[in-house]
Amino acid sequence: MSEMATPLPAAGPYVTAPRGHLDQSYLTAGMTLRSWLTTTDHKRIAILYAVAITTFFFIGGVAATLIRIELATPAGDLVSAETYNKLFTMHGVVMVWFFLIPSIPATLGNFLVPLMIGARDLAFPRLNLASWYLYVAGALFTLVALVLGGVDTGWTFYAPYSSLYSNTHVFYVLAGVFVVGFSSILTGINFIVSVHTLRAPGMHWFRLPLFIWAQYATAAILVLATPVLAMTLVLLGLERFLGVGIFDPALGGDPLLFQHLFWFYSHPAVYVMVLPAMGVVSELFACYSRNPIFGYRTMAYAIVAIAVIGFLVWGHHMFVSGQSTMAGAVFSLLTFLVAIPSAIKVFNWTATLWHGRVRYDAPMLYALGFVGLFTVGGMTGLFLASLALDVHLTDTYFVVAHFHYIMVGGSVSAYLGGIHFWWPKITGRLYSDRWARVAAILLFVGFNFTFFPQYLLGVQGMPRRYYEYPAEFQTLNVLSSAGAVILALGYLLPLLYLGWSLFRGARAPGNPWQATGLEWSTTSPPPVDNFDTLPIVDAPPYDYRPNVIPPDVISAREGTH
Amino acid sequence: MSRPPAAPPPPLRHYVWTWLALLLLLALTAASAWVPMGAFNLAVNLAIALGKALLVAFMYMHVRRGTPMIRVFALAGLMWLALLATLSLTDFAVRLG
Amino acid sequence: MSATTATSVQRQACAPGVAKPFHDAAQQADAAALGMWLFLASEILFFGVLFFVYALARAHLPEAFAAASRQTSFVLGTANTAVLLTSSFTMAAAVRAAQLRRHGAAALLLLITAALGVAFSGIKLTEYALDYRHHLVPLLDFAFDPRLARGALAFFWLYFTTTGLHLVHLTIGIGLALTFAWREWRRRTPRLHEQVENVGLYWHFVDLVWIFLYPCLYLVSRA
Repeated sequence: MSEMATPLPAAGPYVTAPRGHLDQSYLTAGMTLRSWLTTTDHKRIAILYAVAITTFFFIGGVAATLIRIELATPAGDLVSAETYNKLFTMHGVVMVWFFLIPSIPATLGNFLVPLMIGARDLAFPRLNLASWYLYVAGALFTLVALVLGGVDTGWTFYAPYSSLYSNTHVFYVLAGVFVVGFSSILTGINFIVSVHTLRAPGMHWFRLPLFIWAQYATAAILVLATPVLAMTLVLLGLERFLGVGIFDPALGGDPLLFQHLFWFYSHPAVYVMVLPAMGVVSELFACYSRNPIFGYRTMAYAIVAIAVIGFLVWGHHMFVSGQSTMAGAVFSLLTFLVAIPSAIKVFNWTATLWHGRVRYDAPMLYALGFVGLFTVGGMTGLFLASLALDVHLTDTYFVVAHFHYIMVGGSVSAYLGGIHFWWPKITGRLYSDRWARVAAILLFVGFNFTFFPQYLLGVQGMPRRYYEYPAEFQTLNVLSSAGAVILALGYLLPLLYLGWSLFRGARAPGNPWQATGLEWSTTSPPPVDNFDTLPIVDAPPYDYRPNVIPPDVISAREGTH
Repeated sequence: MSRPPAAPPPPLRHYVWTWLALLLLLALTAASAWVPMGAFNLAVNLAIALGKALLVAFMYMHVRRGTPMIRVFALAGLMWLALLATLSLTDFAVRLG
Repeated sequence: MSATTATSVQRQACAPGVAKPFHDAAQQADAAALGMWLFLASEILFFGVLFFVYALARAHLPEAFAAASRQTSFVLGTANTAVLLTSSFTMAAAVRAAQLRRHGAAALLLLITAALGVAFSGIKLTEYALDYRHHLVPLLDFAFDPRLARGALAFFWLYFTTTGLHLVHLTIGIGLALTFAWREWRRRTPRLHEQVENVGLYWHFVDLVWIFLYPCLYLVSRA
């Protein structure tokens, strides 16, 4: 009953896949709204997610815009303090749970995991659709909270403020995050089972692209960490609405218990946000330097190490909360450990460029940006991991800058790089690389102008989550807000030229970048069942040869109108 | 992707014996609770609960017969819970102990 | 690779009832089992938080927990545990019957399992009613020895949260058992036993949670 697959030539750089069948692909199989909303095709579900998370990205962005406008002046003159609290809370909640955590896994992951492993879909296609609907349900709850005036507890919902004192509609946000958590868990289960059971013949574990390794590790984190968040939110709800004294000291509860439970999930959650980005970057570095990834196995092990060690460090968010010094010391040491596999990855990416033939197309610019910005963000993490330094830096803008360097400078850059890289595969269209490079550079420049001053502000002592500040901090704040304008341009530009490409972009061939990977061996866009015949894998991953550029490499620059 | 045909299920008497063993353990734990043993009561109860759990897991859920991956997953859930508990205890035991 | 049109795309020769991404039934069964185990792993962490909180609270308030636990009904709790353990036996037997393609036996055993689950629920609700009568339900006229009231309150909200959550999971299990009893009876679905195996896994997990809940809630201090 097994498929008799005819072997393709090694899915290496030299396969000339047929030109795209724009009129007979997964995009055109069913043109009604209903066919989209009832699809079980992982590629369509990926697009459903992309539309949803992009919407929420811009909602979170509006909150950020208002924050930066407010902070351009020392006085709290744009909004009230209460409103400001709501702004940064909603910015955090929306960006973390409704943009970053689903971003690469639910869009690029959903689209690419089956293709990269040589399968026709994920293991549980209907569960996949259910995941999307759970996301939407959670998102709706959060929107209700937004419409009713927002929540002011901070995205971290610390008790006892969130359980006893906040007068905002905490319930809706708790419900929204609770529900969207199950979306994550189901997606995680789907990915793990798919990678275990649906790999094409010959696709051994160490022939998998690093993107798959990254998605797998991310999925494991989602399955193991998210349930803890779910229960923590339930407990918070019980405390808020039924008055049980779990976290309330007056009733014998312990506020630190909330923090331990919350961060047990939320620290691994940041690895959910960064590991898929690392997976994307590996794909981009290999393709755009025409080199196999340096130290492939080490990279794979590093991904697993980051995922595992990432579960052991959550207490570094609580150094000054009152936890015991013993706990502080243990978590500090473990946090230093997690930097090691991350550093290994940065070294290996850099080594990948060595003796390569680097092309500076837009996806590569994003990837290079990731490595630089992630490194800066990661190193400042070490500052925060040191107990003594953290006493001064915690709850200042230093922390804000640190995590934005990783999550925005890192993950969002990689996300955009991936969107560009796989855009032809997903849509069957080529985009204007010139405009894309402009956007990438705008993002990099704008990002640094926005967030580097925040490191300095933090060191000088400006607290986070404050809507007003002493006049001496204004210069840096103005610089940061000005940078945000450039950053915003960097985000808006892709909407324009990518949107344009959907209607006027050149048709993409199957493998416009002459990249390796099974996804490039099928048409752009792929047919509904991904492959005409299922591939058999007999080559190592990243089978690039730097000094041989096939004559029919299509640079995106040449492919536009 | 073929695998060998699934092994036939165990004879019913294995399940019957397991059930009786479980009931016996229940009787044991219930009875021992009435014997004053101080802190030992908790230890005994947990040990018996663990015994019952192992019986259910191995005899009914076929953890032993499953693929290695299944055992890894089952263990992972427990291990991760242990991680949460142990590392948190560095705080709770010291601060509240 | 020749150019193809959508109409000539080679659809794999699927066996009837094999879902799209899978080559064959064995692969699909493997995937379903793996998926269920992963889900159970996530449930271990979900319930595990409650056990962890229980452990902390009990370590903090041992006397109150002891006093509160003595107010639970030893007889009903123990009887209920016996019921649930028996239901695990009948569920395992049902899975076995399904694996042997004895559909009638499987349907009957699944029905009995569901009935035992309903019995468990009935006993539990009776306990809840008794707890209410004895003023042991937090927020609903709770009354306890004032010296230990804070700890007893903590015990009882944990009691109601954990058993309530357990009951929700059990109800889902009963629904699944009934659904598959019906499907076994109709014997229309090929390879139904694979799905019944997964229902069994779920049911046994619900049993496992109770195996640990029972001593935590009923046996803190009977001596």
